Amino acid sequence: MRKLLFVVAAAVALVAPRVVLAHHGWGGYLDAEFEISGTVVTPVSLAGPHATMTIKGTDGHDWLLTLAPPPRTSAAGLKDGMLAVGTKVTAHGHRSRDNNKYEVKTERVTIDGKTYNVYPDRT
Amino acid sequence: MQGSALGHFMRESGLWTYAIVNLAHVLGIATLFGSILVLDLRLVGVGRRIPLSALSSAIVPVATAGFCMAAATGVGLLATKATEYVGNPFLLIKFPAIALGLINVAVLKRTEAWRAHYERDLTEQEQRQLAIMGGLSLVCWLTAITAGRMIAYW
Repeated sequence: MRKLLFVVAAAVALVAPRVVLAHHGWGGYLDAEFEISGTVVTPVSLAGPHATMTIKGTDGHDWLLTLAPPPRTSAAGLKDGMLAVGTKVTAHGHRSRDNNKYEVKTERVTIDGKTYNVYPDRT
Repeated sequence: MQGSALGHFMRESGLWTYAIVNLAHVLGIATLFGSILVLDLRLVGVGRRIPLSALSSAIVPVATAGFCMAAATGVGLLATKATEYVGNPFLLIKFPAIALGLINVAVLKRTEAWRAHYERDLTEQEQRQLAIMGGLSLVCWLTAITAGRMIAYW
């Protein structure tokens, strides 16, 4: 019984971190800094585990900007429903490792020369 | 589901709503799994010197409360952005695992062995029957928890 528990625990310990890296935190995103400009498609939403917004990139794709969790995003100055559709936005962060996924884990967004830094401890 | 009153509440009632409901969900799961783990291990054969009826009468109400708490808050978490989870494969593992876990409970409660364990010692065969169901229960809840946690990482 003890041996069995040990084997199960070891298997979980080996496999879990790899899966966990897939999305949350920064592991699911490329290390390289990434920047995309575009216009707002879906305004800021402070709902769920992470705040989000969507922009139509200059490359023609709709990019999902995954922001910080809602309280932190709000503290950075991005409020729910902010930015009219069509507002010009530049997002800076890290894009998804999945090439077919147009998602940026966003560290900061710049609107009209004003920067909203949702992860101020990251450069 | 997303358009329901619950969905609106989850999205529009404050910055910390999701986090707090998520916390309650985790507490519900911890209560359910923490308690059922002890009972299932006993059914499988760990700690035989403890009378089964003493364990079950203490554990079943706690596990039931944990399940209800997890289920109620889980509906809220899902309703927040239900459309985002469409096509998430872990959801398709989690919900059948929960369903199977509940069916297992329903079947167990109808067995002669379970009914009798409050009043008398069980025969070897009855113990084996309950051991299988205890093992299945562990597999179901562990699968549900694992798949549930992975939903966020898809």
